[in-house]
Amino acid sequence: MNTMNILSEQERLVLLLRELYQGHGCVRFPMRRFEEYALYLENKSFLTSEQVLSFTDGNGKLMALKPDVTLSIVKHARRGRECVEKLYYHESVYRASPTDHEFKEIEQIGVEYLGNIDRCATGEVMWLALESLRMIGREYVMDISHMGLTAGLMNDCGLDGEAREEAFRLIRQKNVHELRAMLTAKGLGTDTVERFAALLTISGTVEEMLEKAAQLTLGEASRKAVEELSQLYSDLRALGMESHVRLDFSIANDLDYYNGLVFRGYVEGAPRAVLSGGRYDHLMAKMGKDADGFGFALYLDELNSLATLPSRDEVDVLAQYAPEDDAAKVLTAVKRMRELGLRVLATCGEAPQVYAYRHCRFDGERFVEVE
Amino acid sequence: MLNVALPKGRLGDKVYNLFKEIGYDCRAMEDGDRKLVLRDPDGEVSYLLVKPSDVAIYVEHGAADIGVVGKDVLLEGGNDVYELLDLGFGKCRMAEAAPVDFQENRHRPLRVATKYPRIAKQYYASICREIEVIKLNGSIELAPILGLSDVIVDIVETGTTLKQNGLDVRREILPISARFIANKASMKFKEAQIRDIQEKLAAVIMEKAGEKK
Repeated sequence: MNTMNILSEQERLVLLLRELYQGHGCVRFPMRRFEEYALYLENKSFLTSEQVLSFTDGNGKLMALKPDVTLSIVKHARRGRECVEKLYYHESVYRASPTDHEFKEIEQIGVEYLGNIDRCATGEVMWLALESLRMIGREYVMDISHMGLTAGLMNDCGLDGEAREEAFRLIRQKNVHELRAMLTAKGLGTDTVERFAALLTISGTVEEMLEKAAQLTLGEASRKAVEELSQLYSDLRALGMESHVRLDFSIANDLDYYNGLVFRGYVEGAPRAVLSGGRYDHLMAKMGKDADGFGFALYLDELNSLATLPSRDEVDVLAQYAPEDDAAKVLTAVKRMRELGLRVLATCGEAPQVYAYRHCRFDGERFVEVE
Repeated sequence: MLNVALPKGRLGDKVYNLFKEIGYDCRAMEDGDRKLVLRDPDGEVSYLLVKPSDVAIYVEHGAADIGVVGKDVLLEGGNDVYELLDLGFGKCRMAEAAPVDFQENRHRPLRVATKYPRIAKQYYASICREIEVIKLNGSIELAPILGLSDVIVDIVETGTTLKQNGLDVRREILPISARFIANKASMKFKEAQIRDIQEKLAAVIMEKAGEKK
């Protein structure tokens, strides 16, 4: 039998993804399960949850089980823009669940490009992200946006500090009615307020939306953002990969870390985004690295809700023997069946909860099929 | 097929009538059935009747694609959903109330009894006031009368219950009304239908607001 058959659907997906990433020259990034706690303390807002599992090592240093992979990669990566480092990882991270506050071990697989991220590297990361979604084997959608667009609009009208965060929160909820009220209360003119509202309500094909977005932008930053989105879209179209791509300007990551393209991947049947990524030059700068960063993570735990079929442990033969049977003869009989490539569960007495295609009993010499 | 989570009770009835008005009626809803999942074989939507405080949970986890929920529940739950529309009814306010003769001692934390600990914590943090939250599940007005707390944070509609218990609104925290929400992933795969409902609801609400004026 094929070795792939004993893998669960998810283990198989992980192997296929690793093959995909290595096929693009990505190198697996070796990592420990823990880091110094200070790394997470300094970058608290980069994490999705503030709770970190910490412990003290032999020297009294406070350590933490990794709640995130990107920070570790950025910390240990080389600096410089002379080339681009293409890395991937498949790791566990430890996070508190937002609902019951218990810590959970979550499996993540992802890609990070560090160094000089040009248009080609950008397109390749998006290609890998789209291909990763496709491999899950369900209907999928990739929503793309650019932080420069929303942030640019906010800079143009002098929105900062708490007001900016509040505006981002409402944008993420597509909450146009409260965004309008809040911006108006801040004393912004109707023109500006409607520009924000339009960003969240424009619809149509990607080309139409880009055109409409271009008309909304004023400053240099937002104009550049629209241009980058158009470039990316035309590169993906050249690859024949544009059909699952949509624009959604409600995607917003933390501006302290992210600056350029941001994206989220959804598959049918999973209630939340299963893939998330973006351009994080600000994080690189914060960590003292003179380089760009762009990457994504696939949350394997979010795929659990797709596995609706009951799992079944199975063997080809359930081989029952009695306590008084000769052990050497039983084992020899099992060995013969194993040599034929059969999956055998040898058991004395009742059969445990494993499905068996055939049921055999030991007759003193060999296993004989019973009804 | 779109799953719609509605709060059981008066608000739910009102919302259903609104959905019926824009063409999403469901015969099973009108038969006075006591079932919790109601669908017509040829209908485009099915309705789930759930506890008001659970609507946003159903939507966040994708058991329902869309739903209608009070802003109070939404803020308290902190659910990660799209809030697409303010339906403008079910209006009331979240407010801090205290006994009429209450005088605050600012040298100690304010004791706050509430059903909404998250909203209370956020509000007092925003005005830099240290508090001690006492989470109750009902009859909040009793707490200050019996000395369990200094003030309460609760929903106020007319203020009659407060008055009857010798309480008064001290500070308004925020206005509350019913909101139309959607699951983030459903919005990707059923966007046309959800947008259609959103636009029709918005039109009906505008029309009603016009009539009132």
